[in-house]
Amino acid sequence: MTFSTFIKAAALATVVFLPANAALAKDDLVVNLVNEPATLDPHMQWNPDSYYVYRNIFDNLVTRDDAGEIVPQVAESWKQLSDTELELDIREGITFHDGEALTADDVVYSVKRITDPEFSSPQLGQFNSIIDAKKIDEDTVVLTTKSPYPALLAQLVKLSIVPEHVASELGKEGFNEAPVGSGPYKFAGWDRGVQVKLTRNDAYWGEQGAFKTVTFKSVPDASTRVANLRAGTADLVVSLDSDLAMQLEGSTEAQVLSAPTERVGFMGMNTLVAPLDDPEIRRAAAMAIDREGIVEGILRGGETVASQMATSAHFGFVDSAEPIPFDLEKAREIVAAKGDAAKVPMKFATSPVYDQRIVQAIQQMLNEAGFNVEISMTDMATYLKAAQNPDQMARPQLSFGRWSCACQDVDGVQYPLLHSSSNWSRVNDPELDALLETGRTTLDKEARLAAYAKVQKIVADNTYIMPLYQAAALYGASNGLEWQPTANESLFLNRMSWKD
Amino acid sequence: MTIFLLRRLGQSLVALFGVMTLVFFIQRLTGDPTYLLVPETATQADIEAMRHALGLDRALVVQYVDFLWDTLRFDFGKSFIQNVPVTTIIASRLPYTLQLAGGALLVAIAIGLPVGLLLALARKQRWTNILMGVVLAAQSMPTFWSGILMILLFGVGLGWLPPSGSGSFAHLIMPSIALGLLSMATYARITRSSVLDELSKDYIRSAKARGVKTGRLVTRHLLRNSAIPVISITALEISQLLAGAVIVETVFAWPGLGLLTVQSVVSRDFVVVQGVVLLGALVTIMMNFLADILYSFVDPRIRLDGVSG
Repeated sequence: MTFSTFIKAAALATVVFLPANAALAKDDLVVNLVNEPATLDPHMQWNPDSYYVYRNIFDNLVTRDDAGEIVPQVAESWKQLSDTELELDIREGITFHDGEALTADDVVYSVKRITDPEFSSPQLGQFNSIIDAKKIDEDTVVLTTKSPYPALLAQLVKLSIVPEHVASELGKEGFNEAPVGSGPYKFAGWDRGVQVKLTRNDAYWGEQGAFKTVTFKSVPDASTRVANLRAGTADLVVSLDSDLAMQLEGSTEAQVLSAPTERVGFMGMNTLVAPLDDPEIRRAAAMAIDREGIVEGILRGGETVASQMATSAHFGFVDSAEPIPFDLEKAREIVAAKGDAAKVPMKFATSPVYDQRIVQAIQQMLNEAGFNVEISMTDMATYLKAAQNPDQMARPQLSFGRWSCACQDVDGVQYPLLHSSSNWSRVNDPELDALLETGRTTLDKEARLAAYAKVQKIVADNTYIMPLYQAAALYGASNGLEWQPTANESLFLNRMSWKD
Repeated sequence: MTIFLLRRLGQSLVALFGVMTLVFFIQRLTGDPTYLLVPETATQADIEAMRHALGLDRALVVQYVDFLWDTLRFDFGKSFIQNVPVTTIIASRLPYTLQLAGGALLVAIAIGLPVGLLLALARKQRWTNILMGVVLAAQSMPTFWSGILMILLFGVGLGWLPPSGSGSFAHLIMPSIALGLLSMATYARITRSSVLDELSKDYIRSAKARGVKTGRLVTRHLLRNSAIPVISITALEISQLLAGAVIVETVFAWPGLGLLTVQSVVSRDFVVVQGVVLLGALVTIMMNFLADILYSFVDPRIRLDGVSG
């Protein structure tokens, strides 16, 4: 009996003792996150564990509905005044949790706060195209951008409105400890390292939450999160892998909820240094990768093979694009024909944060085709520094990433990965640059779509990057919970409820 | 005694200074937290701005001198990530670490000492081999595995204990056992060998010849004289337990210092790592110092201003 079969046998043996947990509607919803939020100031952090919590405390200027469409939230309506000016009509009747009304001044303050370089928000890069915010009257604000910026609304989905009178008085540190928003849930307490408690905002202007209170706990180990769910001490848990999800699916106590996300897994290639500076060699590398095998053999969580660096949830997705076919024989032929030029050693830069099963599978597949790939593992900070080396030529020859801009617009993914001026890009193609710039600075939707269709063709023809799969998010939930996860990986509590 | 105290204080200060210097430079050699703090779409200018805001764009020597000066003034800085004073963060985790360390030590001593004594006194009996096997098994079981098995059995299956988390005595039981079993084995083995050592000495033989009863022999003579190695181990165990038990804390979602340290190292939150390491060094130094003093109480032959130091 091997060690792993022993573990499985031991785990199975305990299943015999399992009690049946009836799904009862309760007042407190317990959510297990991986880590505790880094901060609850919505302008100070950008990691999922913070985001899951604070997006329920604050309203944003606009939001996305379950279908992924941008819909009003604090801004009731909007219109483009000119190529660089967006007028927002602020909703009346929204009050913050302290009873004060949300006004145009709060909107202006929030925009200026997050875009102030002195404030040094980690999210500055997402909003620094906004150069001014002006209050026109009590209900109207105009945002001005540096240049025409079509992805502005998609970015405003992430801009939370904070109360000026509280945030300016408490300062950065104080506001983080006692955040006041206008969202469907109020901050009720933070036991550091343990949990964050929220209570329902009964005066909420929009859809009311179904739960009186919600507790977010940090549970770093995925098996423990699943155990909590099965024992009934958690109602919703995030970040499951496919093995745990399958284990849950086989149980009667809880359900697995999944959704395709806007995250694309890809293999990045440095197209500027040998051997991948040769388009034919890049093509061979792409053809050597069995993506069906990765999706169905390794991931098994609802992922699908990607045809491009976008998903159908993105604006700019090209329906007609086809994935590069898997053809090991052809790849081998090209590598053999290229001889030593294709055998130049390649470093596959990675860090433990990435799924090493995929990294190793890709390495093996490439080496099977005749390439000479070695994995180079470093910690995340070192990896990120190398990947964003100011010298484009020094960026990794090969890498694996999973990218989401949380904006559902191809600009947020393709510009940073492919435009030669960007930190991450390992491509230098003036025609591609021009098209990406058109996509980024043209307000006309049709013109943008046309530009992105051309981008897709150039990227595919030159194999500048290798899209692998559209990632899925897997959640575990108690049987009684009704919720449909969405592509942008948000946990909106007021869109969940107990089943009748 | 005074000379001993002064010498010990001097040594402690040098050790603390060394630890602080090491942790400061090693962390900065291993990576730059800026990249972890900006979103993927940040430009080089955004990255530079963040580095400036964190003060990481200053010369390393300047940062080091500032760090030493701030530490001298008991200003331990603010977490890069949470933007909260590191003292607040550590203070919120310390009670949990103390609870878990206490629980684990209790499990370890309450089981380890009697088992060790039994193993030594009944060393000629066959069944002690089995007991020794059990002790070894407890020490060899990886806690990530024994932990998750306990959770599945007592938390999910039987529903006797909460599967993870903190907040009540019931929450403390499983992590204390998982962590305590490791140290239990150490105690059992040290006690066994230390008692065996004493058993072979002349005074025990003559006491037996004088007709001293076994119970009295054990409590009055044997245990006291076997205590020195056990005290040394306890000092080490307490230091280790207080530094945090990363795996047990992770498996049981126990919000102690170990988990905090690992998360801070991974996210390159220099300030938090510095704070935790400084605390760990202080605890270790204090525990060793306490052990030295205890030795002289247990065994008057050890004089603090004489041979030890």
